Amino acid sequence: MSNVLRPYLAAVRSTLTAALTLEDFASQVVERHNKPEVEVGQSKEVLLNPLVISRNENERVLIEPSVNSIRLSIKIKQADEIERILCHKFTRFMMQRAESFVVLRRKPVKGYDISFLITNNHTDTMLKHKIVDFIIQFMEEVDKEISEMKLSLNARARVVAESYLSAFNS
Amino acid sequence: MDNFRKIDIDQYDEDVLLESELYEPDPRDPAQVLDDVKQKVTAVRSSLAKGDITGALDLVLDNAPYGPNVDEAKNINLQTLLSILNSTKATEIPGVVKALSTDAQDTLMKYLYKGMAMPGWGDVSGSVLLGWHEKLTEAAGTGCIVRAMTDRRLV
Amino acid sequence: MAPSEIHSLSQTPITAHSFNADRSQVAVSLNSNDVQIFARQGQEWKPTDVLSEHDKLITSIDWAPNTNRIVTSSQDRNAYVWQQTQDPQTGATIWKPTLVLLRINRAATFVRWSPNEDKFAVASGARAIAICSFDPEGDWWVSRLLKKPIRSTVLSLDWHPNNVLLAAGSADMKARVLSAYIKDVDKRPAPTVWGEKLPFNTICGEYTSPTGGWVHAVGFSPSGDVLAFASHDSSITLVYPGQQALYTIKMTSLPLLTLTWTTENSIVAAGHDCQPLVFQGSESGWELSGSLDDPSSNKSAGGARSGFGGAAPVGRLQSAAFNTFRNADSRGLGSATSGAGSGESELFTVHQNTITSVRPYAGAPGNVAQVSTSGVDGKLVIWDTTAVTPATGLGGIAGRLAAMQLK
Repeated sequence: MSNVLRPYLAAVRSTLTAALTLEDFASQVVERHNKPEVEVGQSKEVLLNPLVISRNENERVLIEPSVNSIRLSIKIKQADEIERILCHKFTRFMMQRAESFVVLRRKPVKGYDISFLITNNHTDTMLKHKIVDFIIQFMEEVDKEISEMKLSLNARARVVAESYLSAFNS
Repeated sequence: MDNFRKIDIDQYDEDVLLESELYEPDPRDPAQVLDDVKQKVTAVRSSLAKGDITGALDLVLDNAPYGPNVDEAKNINLQTLLSILNSTKATEIPGVVKALSTDAQDTLMKYLYKGMAMPGWGDVSGSVLLGWHEKLTEAAGTGCIVRAMTDRRLV
Repeated sequence: MAPSEIHSLSQTPITAHSFNADRSQVAVSLNSNDVQIFARQGQEWKPTDVLSEHDKLITSIDWAPNTNRIVTSSQDRNAYVWQQTQDPQTGATIWKPTLVLLRINRAATFVRWSPNEDKFAVASGARAIAICSFDPEGDWWVSRLLKKPIRSTVLSLDWHPNNVLLAAGSADMKARVLSAYIKDVDKRPAPTVWGEKLPFNTICGEYTSPTGGWVHAVGFSPSGDVLAFASHDSSITLVYPGQQALYTIKMTSLPLLTLTWTTENSIVAAGHDCQPLVFQGSESGWELSGSLDDPSSNKSAGGARSGFGGAAPVGRLQSAAFNTFRNADSRGLGSATSGAGSGESELFTVHQNTITSVRPYAGAPGNVAQVSTSGVDGKLVIWDTTAVTPATGLGGIAGRLAAMQLK
């Protein structure tokens, strides 16, 4: 499967670079306000077409761009029940600490597991190519972490079961 | 008595731009678009049989249907395009992509994203689309992706 | 060719900059509510004055060269005109603000003095453009609003040399040419290619790029006969109303945010690519001729990157990506650590982030020799317009980059 991973991440990288063309835009709807337009969604002309990049049915990335912000939502591969639970716990852990993450959104977009909200303030203070690097690294590592957690979970369960059942082996 | 509090006042704002006003609508009428697309299917099949992939792509991407009311035509066009993409060998892709005009490259990029949004539909194969996406970005640059985002004429 | 001068004014983005007539002072807004005036001392710029009056972010500044007045616009729906006067108490020269009655109810996004400096235009999110002229009775600036066809925030403006016509680019994907004729201030203008009798708010032309996209920048040529506009679909369009011709150049790189004409046949434009690009042409056609920045010459510590190097339109981004994935594929290494070279986190272009403003610096209006650019990375750079690194064909700049890498 890893020979599809490279073009998948390359596609996400190039689409993200194209989407991170953000600039400051004061709200047209409310005076003296400056809000991420992708979250407000009221002025249709400042929103761009959302794009999906998918490797297969279970793994996709949705990018919703606008003039001053983009929302990136990731659906992580979850093959079985254990992975689903682990993924849910993992993403919940991160989303509860969204403040320190800066670009993370507290709730994922419907149909996806985790969402990022990147605004022009973030691209002003941080280098755009580093933000893209961060997201790609995140995508690579999430899969690795979940499989690691699953392996260690299984190993631990095996150890527990052995030590418990050995008591009956009299 | 307080029903006035629940009125969505923004819907009555006349100055707001509607989605449909953001692009030029397709001048052809829906039935004609459907006919055009069906005729292209046979032309494309014969091009593919001859091995002329660039020609087949040009046919499919030229005058692609967009906008509302032409969903069936859009689906047929997508299916035709997918048959071309799936049958091209990986080594030929860079050459084919470079031979396309800028407009055709933009339309192809739009179709790639549309295909990826519907995994499992018809002949959609994630790995094939990603392979084409990579080669197309190399040839047409990120500008092509930006145009796929800004162009409201959704295929 | 390296640029003439690079000044790192701050760590925060520079939202707008404007030089005075002899280029000894520059007024900048450092992403804040105040205008900072820097004065040149040798090779450096030292901050001298701070102009504080606005409540919210300042979006645009323009310094009139002949009358020495600064006009600033901000997201707090106001604009002020600043004049240098003697402070009666201390005797020092201070900048005194004069209120401008804009009568807009949304943020002001862009402001420019007209060529004769007797009026200025303010673009706003209220879907209107305010043309302001001075009213001596009330000692303030009064405005007339251009509203009619505009359906969304106006993002940029440019005046025609005849002081009457105004080009406006807005977020409803259109670039328009409007008449801003004010009865008591202007004399009736001579007929131009854009039209003859031009009362206030006449639409002389409305143009759009076929793929749509917000119009970020507009500019009239030095003679006023050609209009150029850059839009978000990574394209730049030139309009020749006389010949009814429209040329659109679609680029492979990221969208442009700002442009300026250097001669009647060449434009310098910059944007999200972090480098100024030069376009040249005439009524028979236009093309991208190159960049004022030379990414390959700045590539020092990049290391032996025998990278794949395919068309990498934005500096070194793609090559690093390919390196990373090649490592992952062949050697099972995770993402490349940034220890690969100190150049990893720096772009090869001079500007490290988007360029938001390019303005003529030296030379007469029809023959600009130097331009100044300011960007989100807090740098103010002055470029020589003749030092163009050529782009060879479609993958031009990228092609040179790739060639250098394969050495």
